[in-house]
Amino acid sequence: MFYLSRIEHTLRVPPSLLNLPILDAIKGELEKLFIDKVVANLGLCISVYDIRSVDGGFIFPSDGAATYKVVFTLIVFRPFTGEVIIGKVQESNENGLRISLGFFEDIYVPVELMPSGSEFTPDENNGGRRRWVWIYNEVPFDIYESDEIKFKIHSIEYPAILVEQPKESNSKFPMEEKPKESINVKPFAPMVITASLDQDGLGPVSWWDGSGEAEDEVEEDS
Amino acid sequence: MKILEANAGPLTNFEVLDFLRSKGAAKDPTRVLAKVLPSEYKVFDYLNRTPACNQTREAVIAFVEKSKEYDLAKAEILNIINLRPITPVELFPIIENCDVRMGEEATERMEEMGSMVEHVFPTPQIQPTLEATPNEGNEAETMEEQEGAGDAVEEPIQTT
Repeated sequence: MFYLSRIEHTLRVPPSLLNLPILDAIKGELEKLFIDKVVANLGLCISVYDIRSVDGGFIFPSDGAATYKVVFTLIVFRPFTGEVIIGKVQESNENGLRISLGFFEDIYVPVELMPSGSEFTPDENNGGRRRWVWIYNEVPFDIYESDEIKFKIHSIEYPAILVEQPKESNSKFPMEEKPKESINVKPFAPMVITASLDQDGLGPVSWWDGSGEAEDEVEEDS
Repeated sequence: MKILEANAGPLTNFEVLDFLRSKGAAKDPTRVLAKVLPSEYKVFDYLNRTPACNQTREAVIAFVEKSKEYDLAKAEILNIINLRPITPVELFPIIENCDVRMGEEATERMEEMGSMVEHVFPTPQIQPTLEATPNEGNEAETMEEQEGAGDAVEEPIQTT
């Protein structure tokens, strides 16, 4: 799920940071640049692990800042295909589920990767709000929002940045408005994970822990 | 920017959590004084809710040693350390092709592996780590305390 990645970068350290020890200044600048951002084909940068080397310190003409060549190691979040992870259901709609890990929220389970025999049906106990139900041997298993859920990584994509943004998402806070607006208008996500629930042992954690019935069924299956 | 080495080694959840702790993420209840970024706290909070919250370096090493007899791939070992599966159902999605690879007595082998995982890694205790984050609402705090009190009874089992 997490990896170390070695990166070389030509870093501009503004003169306002000259009063700091050089490694602290560089680390701060690296954190500003990389942390909580996605690098395509590398993953989501979590933390600066260490700084391997600092070279140079050249001041370009007509620029007041020193420019260093820095080699450093980052901790990145990049799950591998087939990895099993636990997250929380954040949203469910007719296109499937959206799962959040707290620090990363662009994990989608499309309809075709839901457990086979799943239906998106109204919930009588919850005022007719629809939710996903897996029907196994005519026994319904519900997936509620905010359930702890186990999923398997199916694929990871790094979509290219859109040249023209869709008009609706130009508003100032696209994330907050999203649930109210039409669901088609999603904010741009630089890393999208497609997950699968279609295997025994996957799905909400409560389906599989302890209670004997569900487990027995699976053992017969496998 | 130049990527010299995209994969300079995988990390287990425990190692990332250990790194964040060493930065002081657990010590600072205000979350302002420590040099830990808000996004790092999000990762820290997530990892604190996983079985990694009370793993130790020794336990991870012991597990890697013991898992050799099951002929697992590195990714599978990593996944087992991160999730701490203790029943065959939990192990099943992690191990690829497990019916074929585990041979005829697959169920027995999986059960054996599950109890080995349970033995090596102590049962995660979620409550104490949550108490270290008092910036949640007062109501949540009192509830945690009540649960924590219930858990105190179970504690001696863990220390043995």
